[in-house]
Amino acid sequence: MTPSDEPSRARTAQRVLARREARIGLLFVLPAFIVFLAFRFGPAIASMALAFTDYTIGATPNWLGLENFRRMLDDPVFWSALKVTVMFTVMTVPVSLAMSVGMALLVRRAFRGVGLFRSIFFLPVVTSLVLAATVFTWIFSSNGPWSSLMGRLGLPEETWLGNPNLVLPALVVVAVWSRFGYGMLILLARLQDVPRELEEAALTDGANAWQRFRYIVFPQLRPALFFLAVIETTASFQVFDLVYVMTGGGPARASYTLVYELYEQGFRYFNLGYASAIGVALFVMTLVVALIQRWVIGRDR
Amino acid sequence: MRRRAYQALEPSRRGKVARGALLAVASVVTLFPFYAMVVLSLKPAAAIEFPGSLLPWNLATEAYDRVLSGQNLLQWTFNTAVYSLVSVVGVLLMSAMAGYAFAKKRFPGREAMFWTFIAMVMVPYHVTLIPTFVIIAQAGGVDTYWGLILPTLANAQAVFLMRQFIGGLPDELFEAAKIDGASEWRMFTTMVLPLCKPILATLGTFVFLWHWNDFLWPLIVGRSNDMWTLTVGIASLHQQNVPLNVVLAGSVVAFVPIFAAYLVGQRYFREGVTMSGIKG
Repeated sequence: MTPSDEPSRARTAQRVLARREARIGLLFVLPAFIVFLAFRFGPAIASMALAFTDYTIGATPNWLGLENFRRMLDDPVFWSALKVTVMFTVMTVPVSLAMSVGMALLVRRAFRGVGLFRSIFFLPVVTSLVLAATVFTWIFSSNGPWSSLMGRLGLPEETWLGNPNLVLPALVVVAVWSRFGYGMLILLARLQDVPRELEEAALTDGANAWQRFRYIVFPQLRPALFFLAVIETTASFQVFDLVYVMTGGGPARASYTLVYELYEQGFRYFNLGYASAIGVALFVMTLVVALIQRWVIGRDR
Repeated sequence: MRRRAYQALEPSRRGKVARGALLAVASVVTLFPFYAMVVLSLKPAAAIEFPGSLLPWNLATEAYDRVLSGQNLLQWTFNTAVYSLVSVVGVLLMSAMAGYAFAKKRFPGREAMFWTFIAMVMVPYHVTLIPTFVIIAQAGGVDTYWGLILPTLANAQAVFLMRQFIGGLPDELFEAAKIDGASEWRMFTTMVLPLCKPILATLGTFVFLWHWNDFLWPLIVGRSNDMWTLTVGIASLHQQNVPLNVVLAGSVVAFVPIFAAYLVGQRYFREGVTMSGIKG
């Protein structure tokens, strides 16, 4: 063996090893990637394509161009669903965020029983919305506690789920109940990062509780609040379970949301092309909301 | 001085009382629906009216007898368990494998593949719903377990989290095993998976919870009554004018496993959900 052979032999061995590594890497990724291509990536592309056709199960699709989108713009049901969805989101997100901040501040410091309170407030988050909806339907029914409470407060005593103006606030109550514990937990983690010295210094300088919250605690929570706002907006835009069980979109389409329309068009009337177009519109809207929110965060920094 | 400031950050006596009162009220409001669910499910159908029926006496198991005998509830529970457990195993295995490869192996197309996963986290689930249903329907998967389970195994977030976690494990661990001549698969099962236990537990809890509570996909794929999951079955009871106590008895049966798991492994629930977000 001549000395000059040594490095080249080593290089060949290295190359063989690298090739083996690559093969193993691919094999390990493959199962997840195939499932992913078939059921996430492929469908996402197909959804864009279907939106331009009149596809329905068992028929050959015809290319319609922008017809579905034109139909959507002329469809009063779509506009009403959009309005309902936006109104639901605009009501749910701020209320839920405010509740999350409030509850996080209340269970922030360690005291006896604090763990139990945190567990209680997180319990609705792990509860199925369908189950919650069955109970809340009773709570809002004419002989349920909500109507009687409202009567006692001097507010309309009627069934909120039966009133076109009150059905959305009723759904907002359930949505907030089901998710404020999530926001609370996220914010709680951030609250641990607020430097204690800073708060103490502010206190010795005579800052009151509100000032300490406004100028020391709140700036620390800001990024987490934006994160929550994005998550909650997306979730609210996609509200379905509660609508399906509690109202079926009624009364008079007052709780008929976008995903509910997508469901009805796709799986009740089998207008899969039109339903896909609604899905694409939904995607564009969530994307726009996410971009706006990202832009706001960027500007704040 | 400093010490006084330290103590003063804790609420005053009055503040503590106020905090306690607020927390007590909030807890009662939060727990009330659970209480109502359980108590009303234990009432005879005729007796449900507010507020008398919220008092915990005159209890009867009539609703449970009915829901457990007539309404396929056991079948739905079984379906839900299959849907949740098989999915947990599938997602964990595939995402651990992919995460390991993305974190520790070099192969052509690695970055492109990884970014395909990441990009899809942005796309709402409902956008891909219709084509996914078309694929499953064409393949004959409507009303089958595999049609129900397979599409939900595509979990980009799980792959991402596994890659992050395994990427944080020191390379030396794996090199030492390689020198020992361990085969890749053996190394994966005897080293990678045990090292991933914490993240697998958290992720597994979340996947389980998500499937147990999932509604829209099982609603679409399950056509016949005996392929429904608990959420679909209970929603249908709710809409069929079945008496309230029977519907709520079904809800209690569906809730008990999650509640029991929550009592035991709360930490995993919290971590899993905060890591992965909420559902609409």
